[in-house]
Amino acid sequence: MPWINITPKLLAATIFAIFAGFQAPSSNPDAPESSTPPAPKPLLIMIDPAHGGTDPGALLTASTPEKEITLNVARRLKQELNARGISSQLVRDGDLTLTPDQRAAMTNAADPALYIALHASSLGNGMRVFTALLPGSGDDKGPFLSWDRAQSATLPRSKALQAQLVSAVQKTRFPTQASSATVRPLNSLRSPAIAVEISPTTGDVAQVSANGYQQMVCAALANAIASLAPSLHPTGGARR
Amino acid sequence: MTSRSLLVVTLCLLFLAIAMVLYVWQLRSRAQVEATLQKPQIVAPPATGTVRQVTLWVAHDDPGVLRVQAVSLGLSDERQRKTEAILRALLAIYTGKDSPHHLAPGADVRNVYFVDPGLVVVDVNAELADGQTSGILPEQLMVASLVQTLSSNSPGISRVKFLVNGKERETLAGHVDFSSEYEVSQMSDLARQLSSE
Repeated sequence: MPWINITPKLLAATIFAIFAGFQAPSSNPDAPESSTPPAPKPLLIMIDPAHGGTDPGALLTASTPEKEITLNVARRLKQELNARGISSQLVRDGDLTLTPDQRAAMTNAADPALYIALHASSLGNGMRVFTALLPGSGDDKGPFLSWDRAQSATLPRSKALQAQLVSAVQKTRFPTQASSATVRPLNSLRSPAIAVEISPTTGDVAQVSANGYQQMVCAALANAIASLAPSLHPTGGARR
Repeated sequence: MTSRSLLVVTLCLLFLAIAMVLYVWQLRSRAQVEATLQKPQIVAPPATGTVRQVTLWVAHDDPGVLRVQAVSLGLSDERQRKTEAILRALLAIYTGKDSPHHLAPGADVRNVYFVDPGLVVVDVNAELADGQTSGILPEQLMVASLVQTLSSNSPGISRVKFLVNGKERETLAGHVDFSSEYEVSQMSDLARQLSSE
């Protein structure tokens, strides 16, 4: 049969190709790298409107579940980022039910420069930006991190970006604070990740669902992210 | 019938009516006393053991901080009962008037189990979780308040695990993880951060 008719020449070529493939990257570490660097990966921000589908989140008013507010804010933030030349992607762009693990898997596959989970609450003042609060020990096996501690390698970078983002928003005099929380799926993400909880500044929860307020928050967030762009960019040198 | 006979009959009837009113009045009073005796009385928790000062880490939703509050409680010498009493004192603040972190009435601790080494399992009722305000900040304040209050008053605790009505629950009220074990050191850092804001 022709498909098992392997000639010695073909066999030698195959073995050479396999060896060449293994040896090439480390055969001569002093050799100059290729003159054409790989094209830089475009900056991607992953926006995750929390809750959705059968999970309404907090009932901020009798007619306004948190899932609707987070989706509205996410769409606005995407527009604001696009207007500043930053590409972004929504984890959900409809009333879908997604588990935290599904959100983490989608985000890890997209490998964004920054993941932002959006939440809304009746309590608080303005905006609170959270990073993951990781358990101190897990089932890590050498370089293999457990699912609940996947963020551990990137947490310092998440915290640095959180501090820069909070500082940038505070310059607009919008009340913003940094904190940590045990909120899924932050723990399971490989990329820098934060959660942003938006709350009223007036004590009136209706403010959170107002178009003007959402627009102001999104513009402030988008400006802050744009100011971080050099350090966010994969070619910026600071990432992982 | 003469007018004299009519008067006698009328007086007799009037006397009988007054006697009946008095008898009914007496029966009613007796029934009220018996009802009061049968009704279950709400009593204050027994202040057995010695009175000790304990430290409560109280969540204040506005402005989103934890504050330390010292209270004196009559506590049992038995570790489990003592810890339950301390947590109930904390929950009494949350369910009371002018609560800094509102919880629905009836929120309670069902049981506290000490599992060596250093693990304590706290089983709360559904009223506590269902009546908790939903949101990252209020939920994280509540968890930090419980863990810090436990660790401040029971040396040797290194991890805390929560159950709701004896079962694991994914989140406290839709946001903060309530199924994983919380490490005391991890929550102490957060509590310091939340109490210094």
